Amino acid sequence: MSVLQTASIGLQKRFGRQRLRKILLGSIPFVVLLVMWQMNTAMEWLPPVYIPPIASIWEAIYTLSEGCADAGAVLSMQYECLFTNHILSSLGRVGLSLVIGIPSGIALGVLAGMSRRFAHALEPVGVFANAISGIAWVPLAIVWFGTGWLTTLFILLNTVFWLIFFNTLLGVRGVPRVYENSVMTMGGGRWAIISQVYIPGALPSIVTGVRMSMGFGWRALIAAEMIGGDSGLGFMIFVSAAEYKIEEVFLGVLVIAIMWMITDRLLLIPLEKWTIQRWGMVWRPD
Amino acid sequence: MPAKLVVDRLSHHYPDEYTGEDVHALDQVSLSVEDGEFSAVVGPSGCGKTTLLNILAGLLPHTEGSVQVDGREVQGPGPDRGVVFQEHAILPWRTVARNIGHGLEIQRLPRREREQKVQEFIDLVGLSGFEERYPHELSGGMKQRCALARTLCANPVVMLMDEPFAAVDAQTRITLQEELNRIAIATRKTILFITHNVDEAAFLGDRCFIFSRRPGKLKATVKINVPREQRIWKDLLSEKAYTDPRDEILRLVREEVFDDEE
Amino acid sequence: MTRSSEAVAGRKPQSRRWRRFVRGGGVELVLLIAGILFLWSVISQNIPNPGRYLPSPVSVVLSSYDVIWKGLLPNYIGQTLWRLVIGSVIGLLLGIPFGIALGLNRTVSDMFYPIMNFFQSISGIAILPIIVVWWGNSEKTVFVVILYTCFFPIAFNVLTGVRSTPMILVNALRTLGASRLRIVKDVLIPSAMPHIATGARLGIGYAWRAVIAGEMLAGRRGLGWMIFTAQDADLTAQVILGMVMIGVIWIMIDRFALRPIEADTIQRWGLVQR
Repeated sequence: MSVLQTASIGLQKRFGRQRLRKILLGSIPFVVLLVMWQMNTAMEWLPPVYIPPIASIWEAIYTLSEGCADAGAVLSMQYECLFTNHILSSLGRVGLSLVIGIPSGIALGVLAGMSRRFAHALEPVGVFANAISGIAWVPLAIVWFGTGWLTTLFILLNTVFWLIFFNTLLGVRGVPRVYENSVMTMGGGRWAIISQVYIPGALPSIVTGVRMSMGFGWRALIAAEMIGGDSGLGFMIFVSAAEYKIEEVFLGVLVIAIMWMITDRLLLIPLEKWTIQRWGMVWRPD
Repeated sequence: MPAKLVVDRLSHHYPDEYTGEDVHALDQVSLSVEDGEFSAVVGPSGCGKTTLLNILAGLLPHTEGSVQVDGREVQGPGPDRGVVFQEHAILPWRTVARNIGHGLEIQRLPRREREQKVQEFIDLVGLSGFEERYPHELSGGMKQRCALARTLCANPVVMLMDEPFAAVDAQTRITLQEELNRIAIATRKTILFITHNVDEAAFLGDRCFIFSRRPGKLKATVKINVPREQRIWKDLLSEKAYTDPRDEILRLVREEVFDDEE
Repeated sequence: MTRSSEAVAGRKPQSRRWRRFVRGGGVELVLLIAGILFLWSVISQNIPNPGRYLPSPVSVVLSSYDVIWKGLLPNYIGQTLWRLVIGSVIGLLLGIPFGIALGLNRTVSDMFYPIMNFFQSISGIAILPIIVVWWGNSEKTVFVVILYTCFFPIAFNVLTGVRSTPMILVNALRTLGASRLRIVKDVLIPSAMPHIATGARLGIGYAWRAVIAGEMLAGRRGLGWMIFTAQDADLTAQVILGMVMIGVIWIMIDRFALRPIEADTIQRWGLVQR
């Protein structure tokens, strides 16, 4: 048996035939894209000012981290570690907005959803808040907080909170009455109904809210960092573009995409699998 | 021994959700259910059966008349009355075992005792082996067994059942009816069973309350003198002690249904 | 007809509308809005320099008079909407067929699924600086960003929708001897409709925000540009006015264009995924 065959069998065992097929097929367009990119550099169809060589993107990481000594320096966010600092400050804001936005959005959403009439009244307010959430707040946020950390965090939190609040509200309102009644007839009080009926019942909607808030949130964050920030990946892209360092712009865009995919894969998809799908609450085709 | 459930001159009105018209759902209903008795409420649809059940369960407040369980006036829902709902009211986010133990969890029974009791009722309703399944993995009949076990497990004084077998297929319904009879023998629960199916009422009930069309009034009471142990579908169909009261109930209910078409 | 229902019919529809308004939480909504406006005015009166930090609702309304009188606001709204409509219409026209084409064949869809997911996850705003380097702060730049922003979510959702069509429906048509084209037309597209509608709503939602951000960053005249420059000029009342306009316009687009389409397809066919 050749080495290739052994490796292929090993991989098939590791991932399963179907998944391996999907991984291999899915990587084809990426490879083609990279090859064309590389060819472009070699042939100079488009000048490097427009499309930088792949190698220069790698180099950009080094340039941006020049003087950054070790992992300790990265974690303590020393000034020299520009590249990781931008990533960490974007990530930090995302994390902070989730930590604040998810519990407060759920709490207020459940509270509002408990009274159906109040929920109906709040719905238009939620729609309106969502409609102007995010980027439209940037100018006002700059007036209030100046450019920097607070403004970008405010924009992100604004996006995250309203989406989660609104989706929780809709979710609680959509929980079948009979679940509530059944817990009530077993002698369950307010708190039992909230924790055992409303929150799990609204969970599919809440998870949708979290997913949407990440989709809208990352976009809003990048824009906010460009317009009203002084750090983060959006800021990095914007400054680099102004200085015509196109390779740094490409690097930033790639990192953003990877970050988003990691959040989606590591956080949102498992969450969905472990709750909603296990409870059979959403019909999933595959 | 006094009756476990006493309903005295209960009337109920409510405004219609859309038109605001006053709907007269129940009119001067009086009935009582003895300890360990299986009573069935039969009537055409829209006769206020579900309204009655919701009032008994405490989900609807009552203003005229009184409802007493074990001598105490009903005020809001409570664990002394267990309800098996028409739809699948078991929580989709809890496993079978956790659903069945839910009532005891609310009553703050220690985990040990709870698990023991839960197992007992899982065995009673024949759900062994399905403890860790989620409701969506169960058939319609199994879901209702689970709902039944959940209510039994909380050990209510009175069990209220709101057309629990309406949504399952005919074959399963027959099995579930016989199972429920077996469980009624085993647990000696006081049960009020609501249905629009005459055969079901006559098969299960010691006594059947027949309701008239809206406003729901108690029209007649029919006793069925078949010992519980003899209630098996294949034997019962030719038994006069069953068929006579069944036909009587059917006649009474039909009057109401045909009235409707005039 | 009974007497009571006649009485209700005689009491004219007004009272019914009023009842629906109350049942729908109308009273609470009015009170809520009044409360928000009141709180806003109180805060604005008790902070130093409200004209800069939080102008009162009244001065926001007054500032609107100024902008409308000069014809600026309608002009800006028109430009912003124009960008959104053109960008999203092209996005739909390209995205839907593209998604369907990729979804037809399992191998092709498995191949393109990850890269489509990758591109939809990069926000259009993130690539704006690249496009600015290519084409400068031109109208073309903003259009490309909008197009990019709505194309990928739409195409990706269409692809997912086509792929999630139950095989049994396709097979049913096959046994009837249907051609490939007919299967696409009669099964795949209708069954992907909810996904298409969701994708469109999401994509256009992203695009709306991208227009606003794009105008700020690329300096093209429009609502986003208006609130950005108003902030520079310390005209906070105009900033708030612009924000309210952004909210109102989006709600109108959502209510009257996107939501009906989604509700129509999803609810009519009972395709809600629950």
